[in-house]
Amino acid sequence: MESALPAAGFLYWVGAGTVAYVALRISYSLFTALRVWGLSHEAGVGPRLGEWAGSSQPAEAETQSMSHPSDAVHLPWGQMGSQGLGNQGVHTQPMEMMLHLKQAIEKHMRQLATRHQQQDLVPEDKRPYQAPGEQEALLGNLMYQLVNLLQSGATDGPGLQPSCPSLDVKGDAGGGQWQWAQSSRQPAQPGYQLNDPEATFVSQHLSRRGIDISASYQASFQDYKMYQGDKYHEDENTLGFINLGLSENKLCLDLMTERLSQSDMNVIEDVLLQYPDWSGHPFLREEVARFLTCYCKVPAQLDPENVVVLNGCSSVFSTLAMVLCDPGEAFLTPTPFYGGFVFSSGLYSKIELIPVHLDSESTDANPCPFQLTVDKLERALLESTLAGKKVRGLILINPQNPLGDVYSRDLLEECLGFAKRYNLHVIIDEIYMLSVFDDSVTFHSVLSMESLPDPNRTHVIWGTSKDFGISGFRFGVLYTHNKEVASAVSSFGYLHGISGIAQYKLCRLLQDQEWIDTVYLPTYRSRLQKAHRYITKKLKALGIPFLNRGSGLYIWINLQVYLDPCTFEEELLLHHHFLDNKLMLSRGKTYTCKEPGWFRIVFADKPLRLKQAMYRFYQVLEEQKQRLRVKQLESTQRE
Amino acid sequence: MFTLPQKESRAPATCPGPTSIQDLDSNSGDDLERECSRKPDRKLPEDCGASGPTAMLSSDSSCLSSRGRVIKWFWDSAEEGYRTYHMDEYDEDKNPSGIINLGTSENKLCFDLLSRRLSQSDMLRVEPSLLQYPDWRGHLFLREEVARFLSFYCKSPNPLKPDNVVVLNGCASLFSTLATVLCEAGEAFLIPAPYYGAITQHVYLYGNVRLVCVYLDSEVTGLDTRPFQLTVEKLEMALQRANSEGVKVKGLILINPHNPLGDIYSPGELRDYLEFAKRHELHVMVDEVYMLSVFEKPAAYRSVLSLEGLPDPQRTHVMWATSKDFGMSGLRFGTLYTENWDVATAVASLCRYHGLSGLVQYQMAQLLRDRDWINQVYLPENHARLKAAHAYVAGELRALGIPFLSRGAGFFIWVDLRKFLPEATFKAEMLLWRQFLDNKVLLSCGQTFECKEPGWFRLVFSDKAHRLRLGMQRVRQVLEGKSRVAEEPSSCQTQEPRSQRR
Repeated sequence: MESALPAAGFLYWVGAGTVAYVALRISYSLFTALRVWGLSHEAGVGPRLGEWAGSSQPAEAETQSMSHPSDAVHLPWGQMGSQGLGNQGVHTQPMEMMLHLKQAIEKHMRQLATRHQQQDLVPEDKRPYQAPGEQEALLGNLMYQLVNLLQSGATDGPGLQPSCPSLDVKGDAGGGQWQWAQSSRQPAQPGYQLNDPEATFVSQHLSRRGIDISASYQASFQDYKMYQGDKYHEDENTLGFINLGLSENKLCLDLMTERLSQSDMNVIEDVLLQYPDWSGHPFLREEVARFLTCYCKVPAQLDPENVVVLNGCSSVFSTLAMVLCDPGEAFLTPTPFYGGFVFSSGLYSKIELIPVHLDSESTDANPCPFQLTVDKLERALLESTLAGKKVRGLILINPQNPLGDVYSRDLLEECLGFAKRYNLHVIIDEIYMLSVFDDSVTFHSVLSMESLPDPNRTHVIWGTSKDFGISGFRFGVLYTHNKEVASAVSSFGYLHGISGIAQYKLCRLLQDQEWIDTVYLPTYRSRLQKAHRYITKKLKALGIPFLNRGSGLYIWINLQVYLDPCTFEEELLLHHHFLDNKLMLSRGKTYTCKEPGWFRIVFADKPLRLKQAMYRFYQVLEEQKQRLRVKQLESTQRE
Repeated sequence: MFTLPQKESRAPATCPGPTSIQDLDSNSGDDLERECSRKPDRKLPEDCGASGPTAMLSSDSSCLSSRGRVIKWFWDSAEEGYRTYHMDEYDEDKNPSGIINLGTSENKLCFDLLSRRLSQSDMLRVEPSLLQYPDWRGHLFLREEVARFLSFYCKSPNPLKPDNVVVLNGCASLFSTLATVLCEAGEAFLIPAPYYGAITQHVYLYGNVRLVCVYLDSEVTGLDTRPFQLTVEKLEMALQRANSEGVKVKGLILINPHNPLGDIYSPGELRDYLEFAKRHELHVMVDEVYMLSVFEKPAAYRSVLSLEGLPDPQRTHVMWATSKDFGMSGLRFGTLYTENWDVATAVASLCRYHGLSGLVQYQMAQLLRDRDWINQVYLPENHARLKAAHAYVAGELRALGIPFLSRGAGFFIWVDLRKFLPEATFKAEMLLWRQFLDNKVLLSCGQTFECKEPGWFRLVFSDKAHRLRLGMQRVRQVLEGKSRVAEEPSSCQTQEPRSQRR
């Protein structure tokens, strides 16, 4: 009996854990679903587009609505008068309700857990093993009721008709997954792209990981999708989304368009149309080596053989993760950090990213907010090793995204030294290296060091997406002294290859040093400076704390005073308030920031759009203040 | 049956003791490395992939993960011929003694037409939206154009929908993404063999999906009407065998027109295969990348998209690309058409990693839109040139008394060189392949296509006349030497081709 008990205890915890997990997933899904509901419900206010969904050719309707976005449907709530505000209430109120429900569930689960802890001495056969099942039923029922409640109000609402939620919990590392089962599949609705049915139903055709991939993409990129369908345009769509969430450099599109239209770009040679060398055409790799040697101030000429070019830095990171790590192994990552890495590491390579949390508070040990120190790295490494994790490397982003920090040479050396001591790989993402606009800040590429502590384990990533503002070009570079790593990454060339024609253009672009030095970079940096100055001035006027750094395309801002309580749920709500006003920012949670309330705001956009965006920003914060006041009033009244 | 490492999962705590690892290290290590660098086939030693045996694949100093080593092994072994060729490419003026590549399936006959078309002014447009982050499914203007294009050339009964189109950087990526979203790690697709061998790598690298071969015979038996004929019976048998071995099969890959056989499936056959798949709830991925390269009776070819009432439209996924039909393998453009919205969405979720440049997307849309040029200039000329090149190589083969499959599609001829092998083994086939390479002509041997009979080779004929002539001359030199070797063993030392070896 005694020997059986620990095992039973373990099984109990598996059960309880499952229930807790299920509850959280349900809450999250419902939360998402509510957003879907809320947003698409709004469509009913415009011309009755919702009816199209029921027409005989729904697919056509969808295409139509995508190519001719109707302004009426896309009115931001803030500009819709009382009707719009009323809707906003409909939208956020259930969401707040949902949050309360979620908190209640969590509390319930905690109580449940304590109760069982106390019951640990109860004989095995008397244990309530049916509990998880019962809990599932109860929770399911609760959620179902809530959905019904909402649906009763949604007369011409979208196709979200969850039948009894099916629970599907998997034990695999990819994480459990549960989806709304939808009885009848309906084509995507016009209007907001959010209510694509794919977000909300179980596929019989995909593998589990296929579903996971789809779902994690939905979760990470639904805002992006929404934006793609409804972009702000000065003349054509003044009510569209302004995207200050996506780190895209839109300041120099005029220069790039002009340069790429020049006649030297348009050469078609046989060799460009044939199967390439999968690590990149030699002419391009030579040019990249020369370019990096020059702009990274490398002491000795870089070797083209150590260059691999792929279609974007995500691909470079993904392949590196594949060849350096086995599934389940981990990389240390100073946090907050670029969320794309989380997404990438989960999709194909299934590696873990261990956050090394940095603090915003300044103390003696932490003189600067979010200061990275080797001490913190060392502690994180120790902790995760003790927890049985196999740490294979360290990811650094320099200039940092989202903080904008530029690492000093000393800090870089210390970090590399640390990595060498523990035989860790270092992946350094230097994708913003030319986007340092403050003259008093000097960027040091890791390639500029006289001697790398561990050249065989140091891998540098760069691309043209940010520094040249051509994210649509799909071009990323790996530079590594390790020939084995370079060739292993090259074997993915088939899957991440770049068109020969694009390779030629890139080569011409990187070759034109005169244009880069005398035209492009000076203009780019002065525009960055100007845009940065504009936004920081506005932020100061609003009394919003932020990190004032001289690099990158974004500012890390602190909106904690607008959250009450200061939780990630509230952060998400505020994020949605921004979205409701057709403004996209990115919130701290997506950078794995440990403190709620931080946002990243991108400023590399045209002055006109920035102005409009800051107006919307201001409006949302005013509304939020109002909301907080009401909340406080209510709570004092209760007391 | 499997051509791939058996497992990906890391060895549990009870992995082989230190002695066994040491053994592998000191003994088989060298052997294997020598093997790897020699053989262009894709067979891994049986238990590679687990953490123990990977020690064989690389020295202790390796920085790679276990799977990284397997991946690199693939690269080193599979691409050997291709890389040897790249280091010593034939060039009329600069390197006349370089290697002639009759191994890579590329259409080199129409570069003149293509580069003229791609240099026209309508191709040169640069718009800001093309330089920014795209819709990962592909720019809408391109998907619309692809849908129109496929509707027309696949003769689909109803217009295809742009929303069901996903655009990415080549068919390799398509195989990879489909494998990932349709299968769990370790599951499998059925594929009739011989087949285009690179698919093995495509579905394995990220997806860790295996291929179960449906082996086809050169001998015409039973109700078969042609060599290497695929029948539902053979499919059923292969599926049963896989099931009995505990392998979960999730789909079937069809290549039509077939690579390397050049076969074209009749609508009846296609329907049979699709019905088979439907019975067993298998996805069917139809690779139609050679659909416009049918140069004899092009009208006889039927795309799966042309069938009225597909048996299982939600599980039928069609791929096409410009690599072959437009001779632009370097352009990296591939497209998926599927009625299944979930599959399209899941594949699109991965497109962040398989995207292609906006400028190239624009050019592709322009190209596919230009029906006049395609119908009146490009296709007739391309077909005529393919036909002429095919006729030349077929004539040469006949003169040499070499049996081959004469089909009117694709860029290659499936050649039977069994009688030139001293013994019917893959080792002998490999030796012959190496002799060709030593004589500066690159072919692909049957083993890389998982052909179960040693001695078949794929010979690509879609190259310029002067290169073809020289290539065929080099092939002849090797074979004449060989046949004489077989007939009069004593004279083999004095053979011409041997003395040319470096």
